[in-house]
Amino acid sequence: MNMTWLLPAMLVIPLIGTGLIALGAPARKTALIVSLLNLVPGFLLSGVVLRTGEILFGPQSIQAREVFPVQFSLGLDGLSLPMVWLTLSVTLAAMGVAREGIKREKEYFICLLLVGLGGLGAFLSVDLFYFFSFHEVALIPSFLLIGIWGQGDRTGAAWRMTLYLMFGSLVLLVGLIGLVMAVPEMARTLDWRVLTGYLKVNPLAPGIQTPLAALLLVGFGTLISLFPFHSWAPGGYASAPAPAAMLHAGVLKKFGLYGLIRLALPLTPLGWKEISWLTGLMLAANLLYLGLAALQQRDFRWLLGFSSVMHMGTVFLGLIGGTLLGLSGAVVLMVGHGLSAALGFAVAGEIGQRAGTTWMQDLGGLGKKAPKLWFYLTVAAMASIGLPGLANFAGEILIFFGSWSAHPLWVGVAAWGVVLSSIAMLRAVRSMAFGPTSRTVDASGLTDFKGFNETWPYAFLTFLLLVVGIVPGVVLGPIRPVLERLFLP
Amino acid sequence: MTAWFCPEVLLVLSGVGLILVDALAPHGLRKGVSLLALGLSISLLGWTLWSSGQPLPESWKNLFLADGIAVVFKPFFVLCLVGVSLVSIRYKLGTEEGVRAEFMALPFFATAGLCLLAGARDFLAIFVALELVSISLYLLAAFHRTKPASLEAGMKLLVMGGLSTGFLVMGIAWLYAASGTTEFSRILLQQAGKPASPALLLAAGLILTGLGFKIAAVPFHAWAPDVYEGAPMPTTTFLAVASKAAGFVLLIRIFGLGALALESVAEVFRPILLTMGIATITLGTLAALPQRNLKRLLAYSGIAHAGYMLLALGTLGEAGMGTVIGYLWAYLLATLPVLIFLNEVERIHQSSDVRHLDGLGRRDPGVALGVTLCFLSMAGLPPLLGFSAKLSVLTTLWSAGEIPGLIVGSIMAVIGLGFYLVPIRAMYWEREADVIPAVRFPSFLVWVVLLAGFLNLILGLQPKPIIRLVESSLAPSLVASPKPNP
Repeated sequence: MNMTWLLPAMLVIPLIGTGLIALGAPARKTALIVSLLNLVPGFLLSGVVLRTGEILFGPQSIQAREVFPVQFSLGLDGLSLPMVWLTLSVTLAAMGVAREGIKREKEYFICLLLVGLGGLGAFLSVDLFYFFSFHEVALIPSFLLIGIWGQGDRTGAAWRMTLYLMFGSLVLLVGLIGLVMAVPEMARTLDWRVLTGYLKVNPLAPGIQTPLAALLLVGFGTLISLFPFHSWAPGGYASAPAPAAMLHAGVLKKFGLYGLIRLALPLTPLGWKEISWLTGLMLAANLLYLGLAALQQRDFRWLLGFSSVMHMGTVFLGLIGGTLLGLSGAVVLMVGHGLSAALGFAVAGEIGQRAGTTWMQDLGGLGKKAPKLWFYLTVAAMASIGLPGLANFAGEILIFFGSWSAHPLWVGVAAWGVVLSSIAMLRAVRSMAFGPTSRTVDASGLTDFKGFNETWPYAFLTFLLLVVGIVPGVVLGPIRPVLERLFLP
Repeated sequence: MTAWFCPEVLLVLSGVGLILVDALAPHGLRKGVSLLALGLSISLLGWTLWSSGQPLPESWKNLFLADGIAVVFKPFFVLCLVGVSLVSIRYKLGTEEGVRAEFMALPFFATAGLCLLAGARDFLAIFVALELVSISLYLLAAFHRTKPASLEAGMKLLVMGGLSTGFLVMGIAWLYAASGTTEFSRILLQQAGKPASPALLLAAGLILTGLGFKIAAVPFHAWAPDVYEGAPMPTTTFLAVASKAAGFVLLIRIFGLGALALESVAEVFRPILLTMGIATITLGTLAALPQRNLKRLLAYSGIAHAGYMLLALGTLGEAGMGTVIGYLWAYLLATLPVLIFLNEVERIHQSSDVRHLDGLGRRDPGVALGVTLCFLSMAGLPPLLGFSAKLSVLTTLWSAGEIPGLIVGSIMAVIGLGFYLVPIRAMYWEREADVIPAVRFPSFLVWVVLLAGFLNLILGLQPKPIIRLVESSLAPSLVASPKPNP
């Protein structure tokens, strides 16, 4: 059976959801149903991809000799499959975490759905124009989500994040333009499948690769909040409402990494070699500087923000390690980090709502009062540290093994990053979960999760973390052929 | 086709007709003169589209031509006229209400001038057509005889317009001195292959100065914000969209593809145009940041847009011209609805301060969504049409190797988001101001704005129609067109 139409259906379903909500359908219910419904094409398409390798929708021109050869074509292969699943799961969990009765509920859920839609569209796009555009779709809804429903310095955070991301996007755009224009006119195309195939046979001149790699590094680097382009991220996540932070840290940030794996690294390999000293320094700073910054945080949300940003350094290490092992580890860690960050921000949001604060020193004795909440808090913290059995561990260990031969120094640095993040997280868990019950917790009348309705998003994310952690093959299997095609000669 | 049925002639006749109806018709019918104007403009749009493929009347062929640019831009200008009529209908004239017919009719004359400009092949025709536009606009800007702001706007426009016309005439005179003709293709033929004479370069410089005023490019931009703010809303609309576009059409005709599309001239003027473009983007963007009056904000944003187009134009290649043409359409489709909306805001609140938009997202979600899409399109955010426009500017600059322009253009696009988000923030983010009575927008305007917003979205997702338009406009360029009888 021809199932290609399921690809656009995955984008149309959330769109219909936003339309229905705008027209007055009950907001949370609609958003939940839509996100749940979107798993159906997800499952069906996964079957096809696992069997045949990839599935494509839309015009598949080999070459288009036009002024502006955009074509709306979608595709799903082994590499985008884990990303799409990450998006679907985190979106579903985010809708589950988002509560009813928030002010201006309609707009809230529409914005959330649009952020998820942007991520999904970017991972599904084959045409560079749409690849880039879909990611930007999420920009304005995020701006509104933080600005209207955020907390703390929401105005500053929203502006900083939006302008930073716009800056990154434009540098990225210039890089992509350069990439496309560097191809001779006869073979010029915006379809990255064709582009990759062409450049594999006819690689770019080394002279152009370095500036392109630098542009793509800054562009994608800003989007994944790599040092020194990170300063939008911790504050932005700390101020965003929990579901928005989940979607942003869990899904959208992976767009930059995905772009690096899909485009930047395989298409300009010599350029990356040329600037490897720079990337090494950046990732070291990411791990150590931001790790130390994470240690200083007193607010759990900010701690999560910094630790989420710092883990990007580890993923990046896997990317520049240059081995399939490291790259596979990076993809696993992307998934693991997406899930654990989402879980972390969801728990932080829950604590903030139930206890009225996320200041860690005020939250002693949480474990006694709310054991379920404590459990998921610990899972998120342990996943982020890299406890074996949870997804992040599988990714990190592969990255360390894979990058050892090329960058032993940076692997050593990354190990210290793990230590820093462990200290920060363990301290956080200790001060929040254990010890005598603090006055704030007492006074807030904190209650635990009640019933399935409140627990399932957390259980769902935990389950996925365990699955990927225990059987990393579910991610490693499908991505292997794609990575081989991209990176092996 | 006989000359009587050309859009230009019909436009003038419609304008005259409107005034006659007002003067001769019984009092009861006069009320309908606004609606009549709108109806006429819409039917003229249809006529222009339908007749666009027709050949020109024989007697016009020495001064005008019907090439791709003319075919693409005549409907553009008449569409502007429809927008202006729509704004005019909803515009309160106050003490000048008695002469509404003239207020409705003057844009018709100006549009006739613009349509003539779009097809002009001779500097004499350009000058006459441009004066038809300018003089109508002077009147329209100062239409509120008793309001100081409007008078100031009219005065500024008059002085600056007069100055720019002076430069232009001087330039044409020098051009005639240098080449002995004012017809584009003959200038081109005569000068091709020769090194540029100082007289020719001086002429080109003077013409560029004259047109620089029209498009409000730095350093000839200073009039724009004051005039936009002070002039009646329909005039602002006309200036912001149609007048700017006319300047660019002339720049394309003169520097890009027509009279002065000479390698010797390009050598000198490429850096000048690019530098102007960089300066214009930078000034427009940075000066727009602190603006809280939306008319002024749009004025500076228009200056910034002119800068982007100048950058693309400055590459002086065919790709650059196509980019400018596409950009102009994107600019029109995003700016016109915002101005229509702003007119309504001004009608309700007597000012266009951004705080009047507070809480609009809840009060009137439809119109807020439409305006948001338009503003985001102006900011160049994907997947809206404005993004494709900016993308093609950046692509043009990259392939021409103009790295400084590329860098400045990208950075300013980021900063630009800073002010385009100001109205959006007000609409969705701020609390509803409770002092304002809940006045609803008329529903047909809500639909116009909303549909325009979605048009930006659809064309952004599928820019093929605009690409086709650009391709067809460049098809038979002036250089390739048959030479007239000497």
